[in-house]
Amino acid sequence: MADREVDQQLVERVQRGDKHAFDLLVSKYQRKLGRLISRFVRDPAEAEDVTQDAFIKAYRALPGFRGESAFYTWLYRIGINTAKNHLLSSKRRAPTSTPFDAEEAESFEEAGLLREVNTPENELMSKQVVGVVQASLQQLPEDLRSALTLREIEGLSYEEIANVMNCPVGTVRSRIFRAREAVAENLRPLLETSKGKRW
Amino acid sequence: MKQEISALMDGELYEDEVENILSRFKGDSAARKNWAAYHLIGDVLRQPDHIHCDLSATIRDRMATEPTVFVPRGQAAKQKIRSIALSAAASVAAIGVVSWMSLQIGPEASPNMMMQQNAIRPAKAQILPSSNDYLLAHQEFSPSTDMSGGAYYIRTVSYSADDTQLKDNAGKR
Repeated sequence: MADREVDQQLVERVQRGDKHAFDLLVSKYQRKLGRLISRFVRDPAEAEDVTQDAFIKAYRALPGFRGESAFYTWLYRIGINTAKNHLLSSKRRAPTSTPFDAEEAESFEEAGLLREVNTPENELMSKQVVGVVQASLQQLPEDLRSALTLREIEGLSYEEIANVMNCPVGTVRSRIFRAREAVAENLRPLLETSKGKRW
Repeated sequence: MKQEISALMDGELYEDEVENILSRFKGDSAARKNWAAYHLIGDVLRQPDHIHCDLSATIRDRMATEPTVFVPRGQAAKQKIRSIALSAAASVAAIGVVSWMSLQIGPEASPNMMMQQNAIRPAKAQILPSSNDYLLAHQEFSPSTDMSGGAYYIRTVSYSADDTQLKDNAGKR
């Protein structure tokens, strides 16, 4: 089942009253939406608030979501509108020269134009998280590292990775999982200890 | 469970597996944490310079005060019916277009076919009406016929302005 269809399944669960399903969507899209909003709202603390507001607005609007567009396109549109309304309400103008629009949300990840400003505290935590992930990746055996990289960075499907690595699809699935789990194992202590700091 | 979460993230599970695992997420906070950690790893690998802090706990707190979203089943069913109706309408429109196109092509094609039939017709005229019985008997026993059972009722008929002349010739023989 494709990624978009999984999102649709989660949306339908939220529409049936399952709040935990919305948690999963938040975990999945919070950083992408946050990066998008920080294009409009430069202040990091404000950008965080606007990101939260956008998710809450999305949750309230979910009964009207019919799945005619991808969930993330719809969510990004809400994010852009929330950011623009925030700037209007604080009597500032949204950056009109931004090359980003709702229709371009589909290619958001490829845009590579986004630069947000983090608070010093978050900046430090971000560096620690990035450091742990990258160090863990380097410690992985070559076959696990390649499988995870081909999936997460190159965006290849399991079948394509199986062709590249000349192994069965089941092996690809296992390698990617083992790679993720090895990195997560090193990451968990950092995430747990910084719980109060919202990491 | 963890391996299934990993495959779910990558869109590599079948529909029934997705249903099953999403149901299990509901009562399993550890599974939801794994989902969040795996997504964080993916985000870090793709955009290491753009990592935001985790907002999910704050959003969860804010959502606690929100009324639970609930779409009545009727509305969901209406949405499904609407999408099915749209698909059906699109199919009917497609069939209509194809039919219309074939009707447009029809009058152009038929003269050619008529010409071909006219070209073949003289050969038919060579078949004597008296040979019909022989042909029918042959057809009845022929294994190649596609109209088994119906062949008995088929009678070879041809018409020509020269029919009377042919009869005369047969009479003379």
